[in-house]
Amino acid sequence: MAGIGFRLRELVKTDTLSGLMQAYSIAGVISSGPWVLSIVGILLIGIINTDNASTPFYVGQFQISVTYLMAISLLITSPLQLMFTRFIADRVYEKKDDQVLPNLTGAIFLVIIVSGTLAGLCLYFLFSGSVFYRLLMFCGLMILSTIWIVVIILSGLKTYREILLAFFLGYGITVWASMELGAFGLEGLLSGFILGQSILLFILLVVVYKNYSSKKLIAFDFLRRNKIFPSLAITGLLYSLAIWSDKFIFWFNPQTSATIISPLRGSELYDLPIFLAYLSIIPGMAVFLLRMETDFVEQYTKFYSAINKGATFQRISQIYHEMLETIRRGFVEIFKVQGVTVIILLAFGDKLLAWVGISPFYRVLLNIDLVAVAIQVLLLAVLNLLFYFDYRKDALYLCLLFAVSNILFTLLSQYLGPAFYGYGFALSVALTTLAGMVTVSKRLDQLIYETFMLR
Amino acid sequence: MQSQSSADIALLLEGTYPFVRGGVSGWVHQIVENFPQYTFAIIFLGSRERDYAEQKYVLPENVVHLECHYLWDSFPLSEPKACEGRHAYVKESMKLHNWFRNPCSGLDEEVIKELLVSLGEPSGFTAEEFFYSQAAWQQLCECYEKFNANNSFVDYVWTIKALHAPLFMLARVAHQFTPRIGAFHSISTGFAGLLGTLLHYMTGRPLILTEHGIYTKERKIDLQSLFIREHRDLLGNALNKGMQYQEHLWIRYFESLGRLVYKASNPITSLYEKNRERQIVDGADYERTLVIPNGMKIENFVDLRDKRPKDVPLVVGLLGRIVPIKDVKTFIRSMPSIVARLPEAEGWLIGPEDEDKEYVQECRNLVEELGLEGKVRFLGFQKISDVLPRLGLLVLTSISEAFPLVILEAFASGLPVVSTDVGACREIIEGNSDEDRALGRAGIVTPMANPEATANAVINLLTDTERWSLAQQAGFKRIERYYTQSRMLDSYKAIYDQALTR
Repeated sequence: MAGIGFRLRELVKTDTLSGLMQAYSIAGVISSGPWVLSIVGILLIGIINTDNASTPFYVGQFQISVTYLMAISLLITSPLQLMFTRFIADRVYEKKDDQVLPNLTGAIFLVIIVSGTLAGLCLYFLFSGSVFYRLLMFCGLMILSTIWIVVIILSGLKTYREILLAFFLGYGITVWASMELGAFGLEGLLSGFILGQSILLFILLVVVYKNYSSKKLIAFDFLRRNKIFPSLAITGLLYSLAIWSDKFIFWFNPQTSATIISPLRGSELYDLPIFLAYLSIIPGMAVFLLRMETDFVEQYTKFYSAINKGATFQRISQIYHEMLETIRRGFVEIFKVQGVTVIILLAFGDKLLAWVGISPFYRVLLNIDLVAVAIQVLLLAVLNLLFYFDYRKDALYLCLLFAVSNILFTLLSQYLGPAFYGYGFALSVALTTLAGMVTVSKRLDQLIYETFMLR
Repeated sequence: MQSQSSADIALLLEGTYPFVRGGVSGWVHQIVENFPQYTFAIIFLGSRERDYAEQKYVLPENVVHLECHYLWDSFPLSEPKACEGRHAYVKESMKLHNWFRNPCSGLDEEVIKELLVSLGEPSGFTAEEFFYSQAAWQQLCECYEKFNANNSFVDYVWTIKALHAPLFMLARVAHQFTPRIGAFHSISTGFAGLLGTLLHYMTGRPLILTEHGIYTKERKIDLQSLFIREHRDLLGNALNKGMQYQEHLWIRYFESLGRLVYKASNPITSLYEKNRERQIVDGADYERTLVIPNGMKIENFVDLRDKRPKDVPLVVGLLGRIVPIKDVKTFIRSMPSIVARLPEAEGWLIGPEDEDKEYVQECRNLVEELGLEGKVRFLGFQKISDVLPRLGLLVLTSISEAFPLVILEAFASGLPVVSTDVGACREIIEGNSDEDRALGRAGIVTPMANPEATANAVINLLTDTERWSLAQQAGFKRIERYYTQSRMLDSYKAIYDQALTR
């Protein structure tokens, strides 16, 4: 995701329609990128702490604790993520860079208050376990939530090397500390994780605060009605809900789950395959970022600046067709790369599972999850396009469809029995992506008309 | 004033009565006040609501309805939504647009009527259809390809939208207008005229058109100065070409509005012959045109004749605001020659000086430069009845006038006039018809911006007492015969009566 900062900067520098420029929002969706890294971290910690195929019970407890931290922190920050991304993008476009820092501070303040209150209440009333464990969870939720907000600002920065380094260091320390502290059981692993995340957050904050300056300490302009798009809050929430709803359903159905550490329930059967599957999207995401954020953004910028600078219709239409071609190429490329990845994983999955020491028992579910998350990359690309062209309503409906269909199909898959597990999520992603592709293609067909007549 | 559900005459006014003072407003007030036998409804069209303060005139009792609409205030439209739009209407409207592009081609009035009556209506073409529909979009692209393909597309689109927005606004005003009206009377073409045209086609009631100035010509001047001001720094060729096309579109727009209004109006009146010719060139049917000059109440001025001193005072007066359009500098420049011949002569500048202070200062400097201190006096605003008897000649050096009332006032008070050949001045001074000309010349007409000619004319009249008296007599006769208020009112009474029985 480092490349985008660079591209987006160039985009901002060119003179385009303010309203459409704001489609910057893409970075919000992409912020789900770091959580792929988190999964790698958790899985690595799990693997490292496994001796001779017997995993201590506290590793499972650790994994479910971190999974919940991720899920809850992503969910509670989700209304803010897209909205805040757009807010920052708008301010940067207006060349009001000095508003970035105070509002970031304001957002962090808000997120810490909300996540801290929520974590405090839950941990006090619902949780058992040691006080130290509960304190770690308390810190963990606030730190992760803050990270998701800070990550939004990163997409506007040019210093991608430092950002990469921050992630590398942060996750390196997370894994290393967990290894060293593994001997201290659940609390040890969790301390390591939180230490690593704190360092990541710290470095990111240093990078961000170094790159922006401001006279004001804190501001809450991002909550002002005339400066934001509330529909983006709902879209963000729905997207997060959609991604997590099948997991929660599996965690809270007694037939598919067990209490791992009260009150956290997990579904060992369901969780591991889906998290493994998410690792497989890295190639697809890379292509997605590369194609969308470089070629596409270039065409996109050219398109709108041609309109604004008084190009002829022929010229506008020519650029428009080039842009469509770029989008088409991007989709084909994602499809190819992710397709090949999935085929390879389907063919050699057994061996890979054996190699990292995971039971082949997960194989069936993993296969369907591989396909589902591959399609999800396409869905991300679709949402990305909708945000760029500022079709906020379409994005909202799409995320609503995603959330509702995931809940319905997952419940149905549970009703139909274990052979259908995973198909609910897969079907929902496929349906939403299909609907999204149809929408985007319809919108793009009419783009010039809508730009001139409906904007 | 209580709004009543019917009125005899509906006056359609654009940016004038009762909110703005001026010649046209005064005329409207005169009409309304002197026709107590008719009831009037007034539709006022303004630019933006905030541009108009309180009413400048007290409405007479026979004004039974007043409504105001503002063309550039935001237009209520539903949220943008894609729609197909009525292709048939767009296709039909092309006939109209082709007629605008090529007025010689002619067009069946039924086509115009059908298009206009259903404009803004679901049965025809709504504003939403115009702004959002595929049908409108396709037409827009097609016309761009055909007429303007090398210029900025975005500017073209916005110009077309800006041109059409007021039409939908007027269509809404027309459809929401409830009072029953005997005849519509528009005091200009342009937007007020178009509103009249819409109402005429919708109700079948006659539309009378009175033009004081020539609306299309005035808009052209506005547009040219606007485009020159805004774009003279843009030297890019392509941009300039785009600008030219936009300017061209706007000019044709106002010409076309005029053409539509002329087609619907009967009769079409103007203040003087030159304007009537102009109307015919712009598309008015010769048979329908009619000259009805302004009239004034001479009674108020007749007494002034007795106040005149026995000898003609050697004072030449310019009565009017001290502004560039009156070309006061030419007046000042003519003074040295006059003073050289008639050392006693004085030049008086009578009129408010607060409109263009910079110009007033320039004039004062000029007086100093020419050594005319004491000879040219700035009197500021004066009561006209006080000042007219003290003058020996009224001089107008204006570079533009329509129908200057001050000449009539001078005639009525027994004062000959030297005026530049602008607007109706020649017709008023020398006569219009043969019969009129036979009354003699009530002064001398000179070319524009020519101080020597003005000076010669002044010297001629002031040194030749007989000629001066003949001119005075011609002025008396002409005004009593052609320019009385009663004559004007009679003409309009005939027009109103005829329209109301139609």
